[in-house]
Amino acid sequence: MLEEQLKKIRSAERISSAAVITALTTDFFTLHGDRLQADDPAVTVGYGCFHQQTALFVGVNRGATLQQRLDYHFGALSPAGYRKVNRGLSQAEKFGWPVITLINMPGAAADVAAELNGQSQALAATISQMGRLTVPNIALFLGEGESGGALALANSNRILMLENSIYSVASPEAVQAILKGDEPQDLTKYLPMTAAQLAKLGLVDQIIAEDKQTMVRIDQALQQQLAELTTWSAVQLQQQRTEKYLTVLAKFA
Amino acid sequence: MSHLPAVGTWRQCPKCQRNVHRLEWGSLQICPHCGYYLRLTATQRLQQLATEFQPLPEITAAAPFAFPGYQAKLAQAQQQTGATEALTAGVATLQQQRFMLGVMDSHFMMGTLNMIVGARLRQVIAAAKTQQLPLVLVIASGGARMQEGILSLLQMNTVLAAYDDLNAAGNYTLNILTDPTMGGVSASFAFAADTVIAEAGATIGFAGKRVIQKTSREPLPPAFQSAASLYQQGQLDAVVARTDLAAVVGQLLRLHQRK
Repeated sequence: MLEEQLKKIRSAERISSAAVITALTTDFFTLHGDRLQADDPAVTVGYGCFHQQTALFVGVNRGATLQQRLDYHFGALSPAGYRKVNRGLSQAEKFGWPVITLINMPGAAADVAAELNGQSQALAATISQMGRLTVPNIALFLGEGESGGALALANSNRILMLENSIYSVASPEAVQAILKGDEPQDLTKYLPMTAAQLAKLGLVDQIIAEDKQTMVRIDQALQQQLAELTTWSAVQLQQQRTEKYLTVLAKFA
Repeated sequence: MSHLPAVGTWRQCPKCQRNVHRLEWGSLQICPHCGYYLRLTATQRLQQLATEFQPLPEITAAAPFAFPGYQAKLAQAQQQTGATEALTAGVATLQQQRFMLGVMDSHFMMGTLNMIVGARLRQVIAAAKTQQLPLVLVIASGGARMQEGILSLLQMNTVLAAYDDLNAAGNYTLNILTDPTMGGVSASFAFAADTVIAEAGATIGFAGKRVIQKTSREPLPPAFQSAASLYQQGQLDAVVARTDLAAVVGQLLRLHQRK
């Protein structure tokens, strides 16, 4: 049931980006700020050694405690956050590092500052840069990913999802709201958003089981996917990204 | 025969509340008393910005998912607008200059981005590239269409990729942001053009005002998300009156003529 899944992926015990970065990398160095305005603590952008090679990690911070959640703005990135991501992406491209994004975030920031600071353009810039990267990028959904923010961080060669994760156009609550007056329902009946449903569409490439071995499974999955992608040329990587999404859409055309 | 005027002859201005006759609204739909702009339909927009218009082959498809109430809404929108979807695209001529023109219609499910609108956008972008023509998009959209779920979201990156590709090919691109330009459209291709201008009075942003108020409980600054305030913040090249729009488009097309 969607409701139980949401409870799981929004709980304080949910596997965090920080936990993945700590478990999988050594020598991790964190970028600070967007060089323009601010540092957004809702996203960690940094690079570390992952199986004998440097890789860029972009991890959304949702926070476990109430204080953390407030500090991290519940994982909703600000425009400064997307600009920090773009700065990291440029470095990864410059030095030939693969990019791994770790996603568990609500829809985009809904506040005045985000709008005044150019949220739309910051999002578009990240979508665009992720799509055109000349290095491999892999998105891993640790929890939920919704709206333009998740799309920006998941515009990648490979999409991996923990089995209880969801990826949706908007939060289930927001989708429910357009069913005005209707009883709350399991929205997965109408719109594919679970890992299994999206794998069936060909959007998700690999589902990672959740058990005591989850971290080991994440490590192996990322390693395997990267092993293949690193043999591709820049043009192949760019083309595969565009075709990946058009192929999914073509199934409904 | 009834002595009452036909329905649609008089329409109250939403701003000044006066009753305005159809002929006074005119083809540009501007209130003669207070200057308020009604939202234009795609047909009215084509009349404003093209002296000739040859539509592209029209892409259609069945709705991808059986979302409750969606079929009825689509049928209603089609009946009300006479269009098959929220985007009309084709080759246009204005002041002897040919260009690819895409027009979104807010009267069709608030111009929301879905499978067909996305496919037609990629089509008009690709046509601009192959025919080596400038691209002009008149944008009016509430964002991604919820009823098509993840497929609507995936229009953002696929349309933007096509748009980036067109810019890389050297074609001139011009986006006209009209009321409203929001959500996934605002955060993908709306600002991707060489020139981004807005029609006066348009609301432009990502998250809607109601959502922001409900989520952050902050007071909204005056003229929040208005074309005028975005212009002041440096996010737009120009804010243009509806009456001047065709002239400005003509000017920009002339300046970008290929030698």
